[in-house]
Order: sequence, then C-alpha cells, then structure tokens
Amino acid sequence: METVIRGLVLYVFLMIIFRISGKRTLYEATVFDFVLLLIIAETAEQALVGDDHSMINSFVLIITLLLADISLSLLKQKYKAFGKVLDGVPVIILDDGKVLHDRLKKVRVDEADILESARALRGLERLDQIKYAILEKDGKITIVPKEPEQQPIEKV
Amino acid sequence: MKKHRGELEIDEDIQLESTNWKVQRVAWVLMSLFVLAALLGFTGDGGIGNFQSIKAGDSADGLEVEYERFLRRSAPAEIKVSLQAAPSDTLTDLRISKNFYEKIKVDQVVPEPAEVYTSEEGITYSFTTDKQPFTVTFYLTPKGMGSLPLLFSSSEKQVAITPFIYP
Repeated sequence: METVIRGLVLYVFLMIIFRISGKRTLYEATVFDFVLLLIIAETAEQALVGDDHSMINSFVLIITLLLADISLSLLKQKYKAFGKVLDGVPVIILDDGKVLHDRLKKVRVDEADILESARALRGLERLDQIKYAILEKDGKITIVPKEPEQQPIEKV
Repeated sequence: MKKHRGELEIDEDIQLESTNWKVQRVAWVLMSLFVLAALLGFTGDGGIGNFQSIKAGDSADGLEVEYERFLRRSAPAEIKVSLQAAPSDTLTDLRISKNFYEKIKVDQVVPEPAEVYTSEEGITYSFTTDKQPFTVTFYLTPKGMGSLPLLFSSSEKQVAITPFIYP
C-alpha cells in the first residue's frame, strides 16, 4: 500500500513542481540542465522505493505510475479546461513580425532562442523573416516564416 | 479552433497563461521559503544555529532529554538522556513510553544497559552506574510518521517530549 501512496504523492509533486517552474526549465537541455535532470531522477528514485528493493515493489510502482499517467490523460481528454491548466497553452511570442517583449520576459525566452529555432527549423537568418513564433506547451519554439506561400509548422 | 489574425489556428489563452505566470512567481517565493525553512532546520537534519535541537527537563533535577524537534522517517537520529544515578541501588532505571519501541527502531544504546525489559507502560533500561550523573545516547531510526509523544521517566522525574517525524 505504501508504494502506491509514495508513487502517487511523488507523481503529483513532480507534476506540480515542473508546472510551476515554467515550461522552458527542462526544455533548454544545456549540459547543466541534463545534470540537474539526472540528480532529480536519482533523488526521486530514493523517495519512490525507499529501502524496499523487491521486484514486486517495482512492479507495483511502475503500474501505479503508468495508471496515474493514463488516468490523467483520460481526464485531460474529457475536460479540456483541466488539460489546459495542467499542460498550459501555446503562447505567441512573435506576432506578425513584432517581438512581444513582455511575454518573452514572462516565459524566460529571448530573441536568441527564437533565432535558434528559426535557424534550426526553417533555416532563417533574421528576425524580420519570421511572421509568428510560438512557444508551444512542451517548451519548444515553433516558427512560421514570412513568405507568401506558408508551409506548415514543423517540430523537431 | 480559434484563429489568430484570421490565419493562425492556435488555441491561445493568454488570460490563463498570465494567471499561470502569476502563480509561478508566487510558487517561486514559496520554494525559496521552503529552502529557507530547511536551512533553519524545520525539515529536520539539523540546521543553521541548531535551533531545532531542544533540551527538555533539567540535568540538575536528575533527568534531561536532548533531542531534535524534527526527525525523518528512516533517517538516523539521536536522543541523549542525562541521568542522575540512583543513590541506593547499583542499577539506575530509565523508563520510556511504549511509542518509543513501537514507532522507533533502536539501533544502539550507549552505554549498553545491564537489563532491558518491557511492561505495560513501556520499555525500561537499567544501567550500571558509578553513583555519578551520566549520559545515555540512543541511536535511532524512526519508523512511524507524525507527532510522537514520548515520556521519559527516572525514579523521581518525568520528562515528556513530542518530536515530529516527517514521512
């Protein structure tokens, strides 16, 4: 029983903590972010299994976590508003060629990040070639270039 | 799907997002407060200035218990008890309420008691003494969670403590 509670508590805790630390936190996977992620994983592992290293414990835990994930995705599908609160929504950070600086500040993204995505996704060279830049809910920035024939947004 | 400027199909909800940003800022403050509380020892495991290390009772009266206010489940802990030796007997008794051995795993007692026995009221440790005041250290691992009222009694005095055990 304890394993199930541990699993659920940690699941909810991690969900809340990553939600409130902002979507860019773990997407910008610089070397240090990668290290941070490893440390968090290691720490969470201890809280999850405790001293019980039996196989049945890990089975219970894995199934609990997956079930929590499935239930949550079902809830998100059923109640769209719930999903929005949980995952956030996409935010336009460059609108019709104009950089929205106040939003950039709030989402902790800068022009260099937009340019990086523009180069990576569309091979663009300058900010003025971009029509829309959107910070997606998973923390990626997608780009719509300023061209007469617009191609669909593509993700890496 | 909503259309931004009549062309970009996007489910933008800037109101929700700005609420979210506000919540995030508040959460960052709360996270800092949490770390501060941890530094001050409110989450157990010591802390700056050792504020959470408490002495209950008085060694002059013959019984003093030194303990940490906040303990952690499965993490090693220590309780120190200063005792006055019993004047008449060669053995000095220290009785601790039932919770002590039900909710806590006693790893080691230094010095080793000459006798240990349990009764209705709890567990009694009898120490051989040199007619001098002495200190007993209990090395413990808490097993329970929440507030844990403990009653330490010597032949003359009683000291009650209530440490809190974090899950």
